[in-house]
Amino acid sequence: MSGPLIELDRVSRTYTTPAGTIKAVDDVSLSLGESETICIVGESGCGKTTTGRMLAGLLRPSSGRLLFEGADVWEKKGKDLARFRRAVQLVHQDPYASLNPTRTIAQTLAPPLAKHKKAHGRAARAAMISLLERVGLTPPADFLLKYPHQLSGGQRQRVSIARALTVDPRVIVADEAVSMVDVSIRISLLDLLHNLATEFHVTTVLITHDLAVARYFGRKGRIAVMYLGRVVELADTESLVSDPAHPYSTALIAAIPEADPTITRTKKRVPLKGAEVPSLLNLPPGCVFHPRCPLSEPGLCDVVVPILGNLPGGRSVACHVALRERQPAAELLGVR
Amino acid sequence: MPVLSVRDLSIDYRTRRGPVHAVRDVTFDLEQGETLAVIGESGSGKTTLAVGLIRLSPRSARVTKGEIRYDDGKRAFDVLSLDTERLRRFRWADCAMVFQAALSAFNPVITIWEQFLDTGRAHGMGDKHKVHDRTRELLDLVHLDPNRVLRAYPHELSGGMRQRVLIAMALLLDPRIIILDEPTTALDILTQRAIIDLLRELRGKLGFATIFISHDLSIAAELADRMLTMYAGRIVERATVEDLFYRPRHPYSVGLMRAVPRVSGALGSVASIPGSPPDLIRLPRGCSYYPRCPFHVDECLQQDPPLLRVDTPDHEAACIRWETVAAALGSDAEAPVAEKLA
Amino acid sequence: MTAAATTVDRRDVTRLPGPVASIFEFLRTMSRKPVGLIGLIGVVFFLFLAYVAPFLVPLQDQVDVTSIYAKPSFLHPLGTDFQGRDVVNQIVYGGGDIITTAILAALFSTLIAITFGSIAATLGGRIDALILAITDVALTIPQLILLIVIAAIFRPTSFFALAVILALLQWPALLRQIRAQVLSLKERDFVEAARSLDLGLMHIIFREMLPNMRSYIVIHFIIAMTLAIYAQAAIMFLGLVPLSGRNWAIMLYFAYNQGALFFKDSFFYLMGPIMAIALFQLSLVWLASGLEDVFNPRLRS
Repeated sequence: MSGPLIELDRVSRTYTTPAGTIKAVDDVSLSLGESETICIVGESGCGKTTTGRMLAGLLRPSSGRLLFEGADVWEKKGKDLARFRRAVQLVHQDPYASLNPTRTIAQTLAPPLAKHKKAHGRAARAAMISLLERVGLTPPADFLLKYPHQLSGGQRQRVSIARALTVDPRVIVADEAVSMVDVSIRISLLDLLHNLATEFHVTTVLITHDLAVARYFGRKGRIAVMYLGRVVELADTESLVSDPAHPYSTALIAAIPEADPTITRTKKRVPLKGAEVPSLLNLPPGCVFHPRCPLSEPGLCDVVVPILGNLPGGRSVACHVALRERQPAAELLGVR
Repeated sequence: MPVLSVRDLSIDYRTRRGPVHAVRDVTFDLEQGETLAVIGESGSGKTTLAVGLIRLSPRSARVTKGEIRYDDGKRAFDVLSLDTERLRRFRWADCAMVFQAALSAFNPVITIWEQFLDTGRAHGMGDKHKVHDRTRELLDLVHLDPNRVLRAYPHELSGGMRQRVLIAMALLLDPRIIILDEPTTALDILTQRAIIDLLRELRGKLGFATIFISHDLSIAAELADRMLTMYAGRIVERATVEDLFYRPRHPYSVGLMRAVPRVSGALGSVASIPGSPPDLIRLPRGCSYYPRCPFHVDECLQQDPPLLRVDTPDHEAACIRWETVAAALGSDAEAPVAEKLA
Repeated sequence: MTAAATTVDRRDVTRLPGPVASIFEFLRTMSRKPVGLIGLIGVVFFLFLAYVAPFLVPLQDQVDVTSIYAKPSFLHPLGTDFQGRDVVNQIVYGGGDIITTAILAALFSTLIAITFGSIAATLGGRIDALILAITDVALTIPQLILLIVIAAIFRPTSFFALAVILALLQWPALLRQIRAQVLSLKERDFVEAARSLDLGLMHIIFREMLPNMRSYIVIHFIIAMTLAIYAQAAIMFLGLVPLSGRNWAIMLYFAYNQGALFFKDSFFYLMGPIMAIALFQLSLVWLASGLEDVFNPRLRS
């Protein structure tokens, strides 16, 4: 792999609201190689969706750069910018809102094929059939003339993915793409997205609040954990779930209910100091997690903002204590 | 002695295309103080069942047959035969429902205290001071600060706090049964954890029985004593929580268990269930899971299989192939299905 | 996935050729709501009456002093007027102009509203503020009075000019609706997807957004027609436009001014045009209410 394909370089995004300025994303850097899978995980309000939209070029960062093949995307103009837009496609969360209700599947897939591949008539039909097959909608001919409301949630998500594939994207950003479909079919959608990365070399970013989904999807990739606008940990999926380095990821993994009565009822918990997440309008100084953190040290964590640093095993963590002790928080908190 | 006995309950929805058989011949008992989880995909009938139990179903729903018998040792009656007034009392005093803590569960223009007062008054608590004392006591119980919460409007509270308020409100008349509909779905992980711990604590202190409806298996793993799997309106498996997670005997339960990845432990062989649920208006002949089932044989098409006793007296599955399912899972050890199939 | 494919509604009509299927589908949905169906039949009837019937029935505008205010008979089902002319014949010939003017007025006002409503919502900023300000001013002026003033000043002689004047008074309500719709559609996921697929602004407006607004547009169009008919009836009844040709509203004007109110026998002469206008309006309103179902894709299947 030669250099990253797409890269967020110290991006921030602020919003002005009547109540004050909100820093939705603060100084986030991520760099993704070709055909990599990465999950951005966090709770609501952590900035994961904003980060995903900046990655897809749909939202301009307030500061920092978005680089695609080394070039600054927001310096691009006209055709270059359009080409980038096509290279990165978003798959939305809500399968009921992501397809135009007044257009059939064929009418949804045909325009991008016509505009960008000059595929019309028979050629377009053949292309659509092969796309629908690729996303597992069989027999494909049955779907072409259907309207979105005639499909199930999972089928709609597959159509969304097929639509994204009409322009041969290099990167797909899937924002909570499985959270609104039935539990029983999530895995097959995740497999479909995963195959895009492994077989078609599409870099795939999955944004999710569900660590179990992230673990399954990202089993060969990495996970970035976000909290209140910052990436607090970035590591290989297996080491992150088995041995989290940041106290926040540790607390999350310890708290998450598991589909296994023995494990879930005997898990060791991480006692947090406060239950409530601070408001984005009034972020604590220093490390944003320090008011809740069992490892926080006065005079350090409430003063200095930690930046991502490396721990052994190729993982990055933004925690003063873990970095100083050169040990993941899971060890320090005794919950391995 | 069960506090609630449901027998052969069937509920239809009227639609233009014909009746939707959303709940079919459901029979189960809820024992005093136990927690029963009902799991299944959307469209499996679990929500129709839950709201049907307290007769909150939409107008288009009709109970076609069955009985819902409530018996708390002092009073016993069939819920389906209650008149409007007695039904209203039953709904809060004997059996309360906690919905998802969406803002829509509240009246947005009155304070939390007024919501409690309205609820209390609507159910015959005339004395304002008594409602007030009880409310403060309950808010303490759900670990909320009454001084702060009582004066607040719903939108001023976080999702977790709203869920706690709804739970406290359900407890206002000290019901023997609480029905929870996806109690933690919209909440963040750490909040979800806090609510689960709270429910467990309250159950221990107050001793009510709980029925909860969730598509989230992990919540069931946390809280349930016993479980029901529903598919296409029917109960297809009834088991203790350990049996259902480690020794499921209905192929649909196996499929559900396998469809949910875990964070800790081995990933195992995770997989989705192929296909989609049947059309509840035109149900196929025989077992309704047949088209999606990897274990099916021609015999499955002869009749919709009844619940059969499997392994132990407390375990039933509606599958004639349950022994083959058991053999496919191999061991009976306390390990999740995805691991056994790996 | 295959299981779902087998549960498709048997009445699925997607296999029929496009236009046939959509007409079939349209009639099927309309027939579910009797009111909508009656409205549709009524509108078709009046359009036939106004545009086809004149070719089938000879015009009878001979003055016949022997049968002034004749009672309804086989020869004159609704009697005759103050000059002995057949009332039914006048109703047949009097629909064309008024309906054409109404259609043109509705068309112009809809075009104005769509164009400027979309521009306001898409561009935003100062242009949006300006368009909104003009809209608000237009909305607050008492319409009928303004119409009377304009009609009195310009004395429009062609129904085309009259339609333009009527259209200028009717666009504001729809413009606000279109603007609100575009603003919300702009944020919708499928529009965002179209943007990142680089399908172009024209595609986004005409293929993604407008089809989602067609219920507003068509229903507004129909309501605008009813308003245009009332407005025409009002200004013609007041005699504010040059009275030439045959027209339901002109019939009313003459009926009133020739004292039809005071003759018992002229009841049908007076009621004829009133009923024609009222029934046509009612048909339009019922059609609009039936169409709401047709445009809701979720109610269709």
